[in-house]
Amino acid sequence: MKQLTSLALHTFQEAVRDRILYSILVFALVLVVGSLAAEQITIGDQAKVVRSFAQSSIDIFASLIAMFLGVSLVYKELDSRTAYTILSRPLPRSRFVLGKYLGLVLTLGVQVAIMVVVYTVVMTLSQGLPPGVVYLSFGLLMLELMLLTAWATLFSCYSGPTTASFFTLAIFTIGHLADDIWTFGSAAESEVVQQTARALYWCLPNFEFFSIRTQAVHGVPVGLDRVIEVMAYGAGYTTVVLAAAVLVFQRRDLK
Amino acid sequence: MIPAVEFVGTGKVYRTGFFMRRIEALRDLTLRVEPGEIFGFIGPNGAGKTTTIKILAGLHESTSGEARIFGVDHRDPKARSRMGFLPERPYFYLHLTAREVLRFYGQLSLVPDDVIARRTGELLERVELSRFADVPLRKYSKGMLQRVGLCQALLHDPDLVVLDEPMSGLDPMGRALVSSLIREEQEAGRTVFFSSHILHDVETLCDRVAIIIGGQLRALGAVEALVAEHGNLEEAFLSEVDRSTPVDPKTLGVMA
Repeated sequence: MKQLTSLALHTFQEAVRDRILYSILVFALVLVVGSLAAEQITIGDQAKVVRSFAQSSIDIFASLIAMFLGVSLVYKELDSRTAYTILSRPLPRSRFVLGKYLGLVLTLGVQVAIMVVVYTVVMTLSQGLPPGVVYLSFGLLMLELMLLTAWATLFSCYSGPTTASFFTLAIFTIGHLADDIWTFGSAAESEVVQQTARALYWCLPNFEFFSIRTQAVHGVPVGLDRVIEVMAYGAGYTTVVLAAAVLVFQRRDLK
Repeated sequence: MIPAVEFVGTGKVYRTGFFMRRIEALRDLTLRVEPGEIFGFIGPNGAGKTTTIKILAGLHESTSGEARIFGVDHRDPKARSRMGFLPERPYFYLHLTAREVLRFYGQLSLVPDDVIARRTGELLERVELSRFADVPLRKYSKGMLQRVGLCQALLHDPDLVVLDEPMSGLDPMGRALVSSLIREEQEAGRTVFFSSHILHDVETLCDRVAIIIGGQLRALGAVEALVAEHGNLEEAFLSEVDRSTPVDPKTLGVMA
């Protein structure tokens, strides 16, 4: 536990030193505040459009931060050779990967928390305190980010940041189109295409499954069963991907 | 008595490139390092020294044979709880100070916080860095970083210290400091296993020495015996290099 905490805290300290991180965060905050401008150019239910715009900004930029930090998570330690003195300790490699991962999740948690605080202030000043379901949607966003980060960590365990970025972006994109893969498979006449599409659907992550943005924007409550379902899916899938990351990293020689 | 380090028929093969070309960096290495001795590991560039040390440090896995630290398989992280390691060029988080970085390594070695604080003070004093304990490492010179590297290797009071080219890049004063530290470790009953290109240091410090060329062990014995036979260690080393079969760099010993 001490090793895990120490690694996670150092990863957090390393991550928050990155200036690019702040650039992304500031840009996201500007968009959250700037969502008020949408009020001026919208016809209809302005309050919902503003909430939707602000929430989408948080979703997108939090995902960008997760990918940006995740893809170089392990590679950076190998490239700078700081891993040499760390892994020569009585430290299982699984704990190293997990410690780095948890440090990154902590960083993301803080970043999302900052964005949510700014969101709350902006929304409260313009249209009153947002409904509770909005905060539930941010909680589920964190679960989505944890899964995305696990994928980025897996790619980072065996490739450089460029390749890892490409793969993570691909997973992110496909993961948001998972329902379309199912629809495509169901519409296909060929049995092979149907089976392939279904296999892909079940193997690849479904990031849309985490999203309750529509309910959040409209202030519609979400049932506990849905929340438990999403949590179980997120925890199970993240564990599998992290286990794969550990397996890959355990077999790797440090150049 | 359980040897501090034991290699039994240890080999390491790398696969590299698109066609996974086979490169044999280490072949059938068998040697024992007894507790309490200073053991020198020498060889030309690309001989397999660093590969051997990386296997001990848990950075590489052997592909054949066995490697043990105090009887524990090198793949088991517990094997390294009694080992301190200094890589050839130690790299640290440069935004941290020496005190912070040693605290970090102490925690990773599961050393209690009060012991970390005491050992940090003692070691920084020993390597003459006390004045710079709270200065970020990015302001340190190469020699100072090497000394911090020594501190992290010794922080958890290991029974075995593995040093990869510990004199590399040090000025004469730094080399003298490292030499005296190695002797002190032996006097305290610890085992030191180190590689070096500086044969004079090996000759004056080591009890026994192994010469590795092209990934294979070519000579192993007491320094005194090698010196008695060849006049000095450099001659012994050069004669082994002359006797060794030229190695095909495409298949052997270029990855160390």
